[in-house]
Amino acid sequence: MLRKMVLLASTALALSLGAVAPTMAEPIKIRVVSKDFTPSNPDDVKHLQRIEDALRAQGTDLDIELVDLPSSGYADKLSVMLLSGDIPDLIYFQGGDAKMVEQGVLEDLGPMLAETKYLKDALWPHNVERLKNYPYLLYVYPVRGPQPVIRKDWLEKTGLKAPETVEDYVTLFKAIKDGDLDGNGVADSYGVTTADNTNELDSIFNQAFGITGTWMKNPAGEWVHSRTTAQEKDKIAFYASLREQGLYDPEYITTKFDVKEDKFYTGRAGVIFGSSGEVIDIYGGKMRQVHPGAELVLLPPPKGPGGQGLAAVDVSKESRGLAISTVSEHKAEVMKLLDFMASPDGQMFDRLGFEGQEYTKDGDSYKVTDKIATWYARFMVAANWTPPVVWQSEAAQQSLATIQKDFKPDNTFVWPADYAADLDATENVYRSWVYKFISGAAKMDQWDQYVAEWEAAGGKRLNDYARTVIDAEK
Amino acid sequence: MTNRDEAMISPKFGNVPKLSARRRQGRLAVAADGWRRWWPYYVMMAPGILFFLVFHYLPIWEARIAFEQVRIVPPNIWVGIKHFQVLFSSPVFWQVLANTLIISAMKMVFFLPVPIIVALLLNEVRGGSLRKFIQSAIYLPHFLSWVVIAGIFIAALSPTDGAVNNLLGMAGMAPRSFMTDTGAIRWVLVFTEIWRSAGWDSLLYLAAIIAIDQQLYDAAEIDGANRWQKIRHVTLPGIVPTIATLFILNAGMFLNADLNQVINLSNDVVRSKIDIVDTYVYRIGLQTGEYSLATAAGLFKAVLGTMMIVIAHFVSKRLTGKGVW
Repeated sequence: MLRKMVLLASTALALSLGAVAPTMAEPIKIRVVSKDFTPSNPDDVKHLQRIEDALRAQGTDLDIELVDLPSSGYADKLSVMLLSGDIPDLIYFQGGDAKMVEQGVLEDLGPMLAETKYLKDALWPHNVERLKNYPYLLYVYPVRGPQPVIRKDWLEKTGLKAPETVEDYVTLFKAIKDGDLDGNGVADSYGVTTADNTNELDSIFNQAFGITGTWMKNPAGEWVHSRTTAQEKDKIAFYASLREQGLYDPEYITTKFDVKEDKFYTGRAGVIFGSSGEVIDIYGGKMRQVHPGAELVLLPPPKGPGGQGLAAVDVSKESRGLAISTVSEHKAEVMKLLDFMASPDGQMFDRLGFEGQEYTKDGDSYKVTDKIATWYARFMVAANWTPPVVWQSEAAQQSLATIQKDFKPDNTFVWPADYAADLDATENVYRSWVYKFISGAAKMDQWDQYVAEWEAAGGKRLNDYARTVIDAEK
Repeated sequence: MTNRDEAMISPKFGNVPKLSARRRQGRLAVAADGWRRWWPYYVMMAPGILFFLVFHYLPIWEARIAFEQVRIVPPNIWVGIKHFQVLFSSPVFWQVLANTLIISAMKMVFFLPVPIIVALLLNEVRGGSLRKFIQSAIYLPHFLSWVVIAGIFIAALSPTDGAVNNLLGMAGMAPRSFMTDTGAIRWVLVFTEIWRSAGWDSLLYLAAIIAIDQQLYDAAEIDGANRWQKIRHVTLPGIVPTIATLFILNAGMFLNADLNQVINLSNDVVRSKIDIVDTYVYRIGLQTGEYSLATAAGLFKAVLGTMMIVIAHFVSKRLTGKGVW
């Protein structure tokens, strides 16, 4: 009798253990390293928890561990971490990825991406182009590119409408300079300022002066770098004339991003550039702290002798983005996580934050709270998902619409490592000469001297190589 | 070793092992006694020793990647001196090395005397509260980061509304864009370094001055020496060992032209004049991922630094009779 009872009890125990075993299986652990997404931020932890819960409900049991890497100097710290052999499953790069690809540490995302349910349709047009050329990084966000903004009340004070041509821009800059719009009794505002270099001006004036891409044909029909063309010369001469008339900040080269913003908020510059809708809204918010009620207006790219539009977009590769490690044992699970984030549920989480915190819901009606201003998508902004509520300013929305409407892929490409020194040297020569031309330290008739120096610094090698690549693509 | 010792360990003495063992025991006893007596000090020293071992000596072994091709997924591949060949055949490296030598030499020549002069001047200030105020004021910049200092100097040297150019304008001089002037930017590095560190570095010299025997000053006073003569014949000779030691230690760091300073004060126009070995290593190593090449550059710099210490030691020994060993 006793033997029977023991046998019965042990059988029941074995059966019950067998029944619960699948539900007690350990979740699959994946490690994620990203910028501004850390376990020390309670919102990030809560966000990750609900993602895990949602995935678990769909049958994917993940334990997502965030690596705590400081945002300050992120790229450098990530580089050191990877070099020490600590390679998470999902890695956000902000540069330094090419070396990892060279060593075979990053997975080709193409095949896995094709198998996804949502992610493959969430890509923006530039993502698709970049993935074709470099299938290791994924950065599903709208294309970024500097666009100019001005205070609405300042534009109204000038009595001008938003500029449509290059000449209109000059007129606007003059009105800002001469109009004493900040009311300090001195005509000391610059029409426009930029940070570090002329890249921001290039974003609206390249097409206007006929600079259609990084590589252009010279009169002899050969591909050359656009920085050595007659169109570039005309553009730089235009910048120099802006500086000479006191319309362009002569100290742009020592102006860092924070100083650029400061000049805008304090009225020392009338126009600055924001690289995305989010950035334009940040400028707007800060401007209202200094000048309550102030609004920003987006200015369009001007029509010029060479055309109109925003500068061509580099589609050779993503300059930043998420990558999956080849040494990861859970690549499929990582892709499931990314696919979920591209789904409507994932986008609702990632774009709108938490209900009751960043937004409120009343039936089908959504309302955002002030906290939405500090919320940002940790994973992606899917191209095919529209939030149920709009909270960006008109200028921010316009900037997104303009950059998508004006999207033109550039013809640049990924350089082999052997050309790194030439790229570095020619970049220095270009930047240095551009400043000399703009500041008046060099005359525009020294252009040929600049081109000769650029070619000697490695530019000739770059031109030769580019011809082989672009001609091969045709 | 004395003749007696040699005689005792000679094979003709049969009791040599016995004596040696006794000596060993004696030494052990001395060591044990020393440990019992001084162990709190050894314990206090331990974190420092550990720090140097972990952060200064172990990395020397890791410098072997200068001779390897680093693989993120091991093993690394041995490539011998390939990276050094690449480095030495690069015109950029020689340019940054030249920049480093020039900037470091300028800093050494123009910076070294300043804290000594500041310490001598501080020592002559008689009012206690005035002296404390001056000390605090000149130490303060040491606690500012280079980001802040760069912001201050970019604003102060602005050709349009900077304080320096305003002063030049009042003196009838044309404004000058120091931050974009390839002839001036190295001097900006030297000056900002002096502004930041001279006050702090003067502490060491001030401590050395305070340690000089007061009787020497009293004797000089009796001999009729004035203030200047006391400085020249008592104070300066009294701090020569400190000056020599710091000079030699600074020589070891001769090629450390300060990465943070250069990065924060650099711009596209002047980069070619102030691009130094450290910025090159940072760019090549951390930004482009050429770790082995960057380590080769760093190792080369470290070897030069060691040579500088040795040379400085012998020069100092010859000139002042003082060295680091």
